[in-house]
Amino acid sequence: MDDDVAIKVEHVSKKYCKSLKRSMLYGIKDIARNTLGLSSHSDRLRKGEFWAVDDVSFEVKKGETLGIIGPNGSGKTTLLKMLNGIFWPDKGKITIKGRVGALIEVGAGFHPMLTGRENVYINAAILGMTKEEVDEKFDDIVEFAGIGDFIDTPVKFYSSGMFVRLGFAVAVHCEPDILLVDEVLAVGDEGFQNKCFNRIGELRKNGTTTIIVSHNMHIISIFVEKVIFLNNGKAKYFNSVAEGIKEYTKLFVNKEDLGIEKICSGNDKINFFDVKINQRIFHPGDSFLISMKYESLVNYNEADIDIAIWSSNEPVFYFQATNKAYNKKIDLKRGKHTLRIIIEDIRINNAMAKIAIAIWSENRTELLFWWRIPVEFKGVNYSTGKNFLNVLYKIDD
Amino acid sequence: MTETITTYEPDNSLKKGYLSIFSEIFNELKKNRWLTYQLFRRDFFALYKQSFIGVLWALIIPLVSVGTFIALNRSGIFTIGDINVPYPIYAILGMAFWQLFSTGLVASSNSLVNAGSMIVKINFSKKSLVIASTGQSIISFLIQFVLVGILFVYYGTAPSIAILLIPILVIPIMLLTLGLGFILSLLNGVVRDIGNILPVLMTFLMFLTPVLYANPTAGILATVTTYNPLYYLVSVPRDLILMGTISEWKGFLTASILSVIVFMVCLVVFHLTETRVAERI
Repeated sequence: MDDDVAIKVEHVSKKYCKSLKRSMLYGIKDIARNTLGLSSHSDRLRKGEFWAVDDVSFEVKKGETLGIIGPNGSGKTTLLKMLNGIFWPDKGKITIKGRVGALIEVGAGFHPMLTGRENVYINAAILGMTKEEVDEKFDDIVEFAGIGDFIDTPVKFYSSGMFVRLGFAVAVHCEPDILLVDEVLAVGDEGFQNKCFNRIGELRKNGTTTIIVSHNMHIISIFVEKVIFLNNGKAKYFNSVAEGIKEYTKLFVNKEDLGIEKICSGNDKINFFDVKINQRIFHPGDSFLISMKYESLVNYNEADIDIAIWSSNEPVFYFQATNKAYNKKIDLKRGKHTLRIIIEDIRINNAMAKIAIAIWSENRTELLFWWRIPVEFKGVNYSTGKNFLNVLYKIDD
Repeated sequence: MTETITTYEPDNSLKKGYLSIFSEIFNELKKNRWLTYQLFRRDFFALYKQSFIGVLWALIIPLVSVGTFIALNRSGIFTIGDINVPYPIYAILGMAFWQLFSTGLVASSNSLVNAGSMIVKINFSKKSLVIASTGQSIISFLIQFVLVGILFVYYGTAPSIAILLIPILVIPIMLLTLGLGFILSLLNGVVRDIGNILPVLMTFLMFLTPVLYANPTAGILATVTTYNPLYYLVSVPRDLILMGTISEWKGFLTASILSVIVFMVCLVVFHLTETRVAERI
């Protein structure tokens, strides 16, 4: 193993069993075989087993920060637990240089009946710190947690925030060579989160190798230098974080979504036909243009036109407004005409979304038109967040 | 700073060979002394913090059991047998040694399951967890000895000077407890039936072993007792305290050797297979 490599993972796989009863049986068998000095043949799948992590290889250099991303159940946490030595691989080999600290769960081993002070010592011991280390860092830990006098109160009287803060405070004072972080950064209020980020930044500056598992692409993009994308236990390695994040967001493209949902295209008095959409893939700054020809037997004065854009994988509205928001009176006159709607300069960043257009008669008594159009908003490299705004950089003399 | 290199791969310990296992175990235990102590402290304080009589609970079970036996004896339902010392001293002392085994074993066999959520999230020495869980029974043992001391004063008798040997004489029964605790905690982690059956089994074993009654001289129970290592581990230290002599030192020696073997074998098995527990617990 090279000198500058901190973690080396070679063709590592881990299997799980889907059935509890079988799992018991296999467990006893494995224990028996290991006891007798026989190999447990862990590289073979038995009935009811599947690979949760499948043939994953990568290297992390000293001081590097690696992100692990992927959908739920893709094997991220299992991989992290193997790096921590909680689970052992069934195939392959993991080599780790230095002391490993894990932020997989904060406050593990805390006993509600004991005081904060007692729990700090217990938790620190579980995390592998020595008595001297804890004595030395105790004041820092209490200060970091910001719980003041409560340190001598039983933990069961803590608020959930205090509990988590104290747990986190102990964990980040371990000063490991390798830090494993699993989705626990989303704890505490914003002030405390800043503290956590700063602390992790500090550790990184001191050369701590860091691995972060997160669903939060924002955290991934600001902290991480390289990315592993896991899906169904298989890994893809990306030297560019942006590429990795793209791979992840691509996952949520539902192929069926590409079809437009035409919920309503007219009634017996009005008919919309020859609807044209300029494009379905947008980069920040592009405009959306829909033109629709219609033929109406009556006048639909004071029509309402709703426009909404929302994410197709989370309940988030990027935009919603009616023509009234723009003080625009719309009258759909009798006869053959063309209605054009233009959404200018769209600045949505990195999302699969739907644009919905609904047209109502006056006072919303009649639905005349309603389409949902799936679109893709491309992401900009080095940018996360839901919007990509026009930012001007100026340096004055 | 020298960096430790850790490797994880399947059947890791097997590749290293059996000889290095002992030094590995020893180093791990040594390194985790403080952790073991902290875990023990946690269990101990947590148990009695929200309790009025606190550690005195250690006296309840022996007092109730002994009281029941005295009542049964007085009403002629059950004969305790020939004992030439005050029965309460005999029985409480027996219970003290017995509970070192029974409560220690029940606690240690549940130790991994109780800490399940921690085991799957943090990598720490599981041996410490098992060892720490038996600490509680040692504290109870010490408290019961205070009661025995009071009884000696009450009955105006004195224990033999051999009472000073107690710390050595309890080593075999503690090794047996720990050894079985290691293996049962592991199995309990995989198959929960172990934890359910154990308390029942302990009660059965207690009645099978002359803890609260004198060593039977005839019948099937006498035969069973002859081959019951627990009998020697309980009664020999007790006889030594009460009479100052050992009549069955051969049995005690055999039982002690057996305990050491059980301890060693179980510790090695635990070491070889403990990584299997996290994934099944």
